[in-house]
Amino acid sequence: MSSRRSRLELVFDVLLAIQNKGGVIKPTHLMYKSNLSHKLLNSYLEELIQKELVVIEEEPVKKKRRPSKVVKITEKGLSFLAEFRRMREFTDAFGL
Amino acid sequence: MFRLFYTPGWFNGYDLLFEGIVLIIALLIAAYSWRVYRINKENKYAYFSLAFILVSLSLIFKMFTNGILYSFPIRETVATVLAPATGAHLRYADLFYRAGFFIQMASMLGAWLLIFLISQKPRDRLNKYFELSQIGLFVYLVLLISVVSNFEYVVFYLTSAVLLSLIVLNYYKNYLNTNNNKNAFSVLVAFIFVLFAYLCFAFVSLNSSLYVIGEVLLLLGFLLLLCTYRKVIRKK
Repeated sequence: MSSRRSRLELVFDVLLAIQNKGGVIKPTHLMYKSNLSHKLLNSYLEELIQKELVVIEEEPVKKKRRPSKVVKITEKGLSFLAEFRRMREFTDAFGL
Repeated sequence: MFRLFYTPGWFNGYDLLFEGIVLIIALLIAAYSWRVYRINKENKYAYFSLAFILVSLSLIFKMFTNGILYSFPIRETVATVLAPATGAHLRYADLFYRAGFFIQMASMLGAWLLIFLISQKPRDRLNKYFELSQIGLFVYLVLLISVVSNFEYVVFYLTSAVLLSLIVLNYYKNYLNTNNNKNAFSVLVAFIFVLFAYLCFAFVSLNSSLYVIGEVLLLLGFLLLLCTYRKVIRKK
């Protein structure tokens, strides 16, 4: 059985899910992709928005009057992903 | 004058250059590990950083004491400056060299020990009290060995070789656990080089050219660590 994910790993998983979807994802899809509950995802999203790693944008949808919300990864978010990958590689290489 | 052992005369100075390069590499790794610690606040990164700072400290003291031994004019100047502290006719000059060698040995042994402890798995065993009691016991042993090594240098190199063997074993396990990760393999090979370097230093009394081979192996080991470090930080 895999161990519990740390806070940093959860942030990485959320950002990776957005990146894998081309940088933009719907909040519901993000919830499933990152394997988090609605409540937990919202708390993480708040933190990520505060740290300018992601932004919430509104996208017009056909057949619907109201635009839907999407989560978009920022440049800062992409550089965090790269930094986390480097950290993980360092950890694996040096057996930490 | 007190000396640990005699090295080939033609190599004097080159070893300082080699160690200077090793010192820079150790500081680079320590700085990156500290940076990772500041991001995720996990103690193992701080300990790893400390281990490489200790390697650097040891090298600084080795370069300092050897530099003075090699360079007669500098030695004379230092002797004049230290005269008030060391007494007339430098009767206590040996004490200065012994202190230098002691710090060099204690910090290097401490570094190997820390790397060994960090590379140990499973991590759960490193709980607060277990960690403290182990570190306490090992600090005592490191100090004891460093004092004894001032009289029998071979004790220091053999103890280092034993610790490095255990580190190599842990890195071999790490290589297997990371599904044959290339960087993990490079780190394993790097520590094998360092292990052989220390084995050469341990038997330097048999043939002084073993010191040259040891220094070259040590440099190769750290250059390999530098390559791994560069590969890691260039990853996108």
